[in-house]
Amino acid sequence: MIEEPYRWVEAIANRAEYIETQLAAGSPIAAVGYRDGILFVTLGRGRQKVFEIYDRIAMGAIGHPGDIERLRMAAIELASAEGFTRSAADVSLRRLAHYSLSPVLKTAFEQVYGAPYLARILFAEIGAKQESDLFLRLEYDGAIATNSANFEQTRQDFGAISGTRQSTELMEKFLQAEHSAGATFERAMKIALDAWTVGHLALGDGGVKELPARDKILSERKDRLRTAGVEAAVLERDDKIALRYRGLSATEIRSALGD
Amino acid sequence: MDSIGLALDQNPSGASDDFPALLRRRGLLPAVPAQTGMAPTADPAWIPTQATTILAFKFQGGVLVAGDRRATSGHTVVYDRADKVLEIDRHSIMAIAGVPATAWEMARVLEHSFQFFRRTQLQEMSVDGKVRALSKLLRDNFGFVLQGVGIVVPIFATYDSGADPSARLYFYDAMGAQFEVADYAATGSGSPAVRGILYYENNWGKKPLVKLTEDEAVTVALRALDTAAESDTATGGVDRNAKIFPVIKIVSRGGITTLPEKRIGALFKRTVA
Repeated sequence: MIEEPYRWVEAIANRAEYIETQLAAGSPIAAVGYRDGILFVTLGRGRQKVFEIYDRIAMGAIGHPGDIERLRMAAIELASAEGFTRSAADVSLRRLAHYSLSPVLKTAFEQVYGAPYLARILFAEIGAKQESDLFLRLEYDGAIATNSANFEQTRQDFGAISGTRQSTELMEKFLQAEHSAGATFERAMKIALDAWTVGHLALGDGGVKELPARDKILSERKDRLRTAGVEAAVLERDDKIALRYRGLSATEIRSALGD
Repeated sequence: MDSIGLALDQNPSGASDDFPALLRRRGLLPAVPAQTGMAPTADPAWIPTQATTILAFKFQGGVLVAGDRRATSGHTVVYDRADKVLEIDRHSIMAIAGVPATAWEMARVLEHSFQFFRRTQLQEMSVDGKVRALSKLLRDNFGFVLQGVGIVVPIFATYDSGADPSARLYFYDAMGAQFEVADYAATGSGSPAVRGILYYENNWGKKPLVKLTEDEAVTVALRALDTAAESDTATGGVDRNAKIFPVIKIVSRGGITTLPEKRIGALFKRTVA
């Protein structure tokens, strides 16, 4: 069926469409850099979506739990083996994503007889200074997008993933406008939750296409918080401790939100 | 960084390999050379040594672990600032007597094992699991011990914040058997003297070890190490000229504290010297 090149292109296109459909319902995840670290926030009903990978690296993922689990395990194994044979300082998210994970995802995606990974991952690595924080989005086909400055965007202190491209772009637009790097923890928590809400509103066929008004975001956020729990974790910017990842308790999240 | 195979590891049981298994799979753990069939003690020149003194005992504030700082090779002192009391995680200490190369590597494997478990399984390893992990490393290392290299005899101290929060203390033999102790443990060439002192203090001292305050506990530890150094050449004790003091760490509910040299020095001056 796919001996001919155009058939292969067709098969790949079908497969991309299939994966996009599978991911489309994924609850957004926002990660924002603030004064004292990086904060991951998402809403969900049960299944954990934000994970520690290594001393300074964390990830949030949407997709099929089995595929997320395989990628998470691979990332932890790679980072741990590297940190053990060399040192924790030699473990880098850039290398992990570019040299190890991306090629695997690309190959799995393009070998049309095998199963692709149904996953979209947002990684973050805390730097010594805020300027060196790295946010990295890894797609099911191995594509990588980072927060670093390039010809079409300035450096960003945040990262976002969502079920659809439209939703992700809207979250980024919102964060670009509202988030500032010097934010306090409380401010970062509110902004990240609002970004989640924007992403959530943009999901689905009837999703919003433009940034919703402030009061719409607020009322939607309130509604969602009634039915789903907030999951949040931080990477702390404290070079006195080796392990920077910390899952936040419900109490910490509530007090940051001021209720 | 290594590349991974296209087929990532399947994980059918829900529990992943432990960290040493991962290292073995990647060829990062040294394999014990095949036995030659020679009896290990056939070479009369070989005497297993654990040239050092490590001690640990429970007191009011948790477990105190202390070690001298001398590293020797045969009759030569090679280093006088060795650190043999190693932090494995926020609540666990491994103190080592034996071959430093093996011991430090073991501590490194252990440290990574605990973190690897927490990260992959999304829960902290239990105290029993941690104690067993060290036992397994010792067992795996025993081939080297039989060949006359790499003997390690550690003490493991940790704080169990489970259902019955309490400080826990274990000593091991070179084959990996673990023994939980109620009061105190000592290992290394200087340990006979230390064991005598701790036994005496615990039974006929002013109060049992477990009732000692922090200052009193540090005093006992310093006196015991100084006694061990008095007769054991491989134990550094306290270097009065260079002001090199033993490493003393305390494991308690709040985590591990390392006593600053200044404080040890002041206590030493007041209660030992």
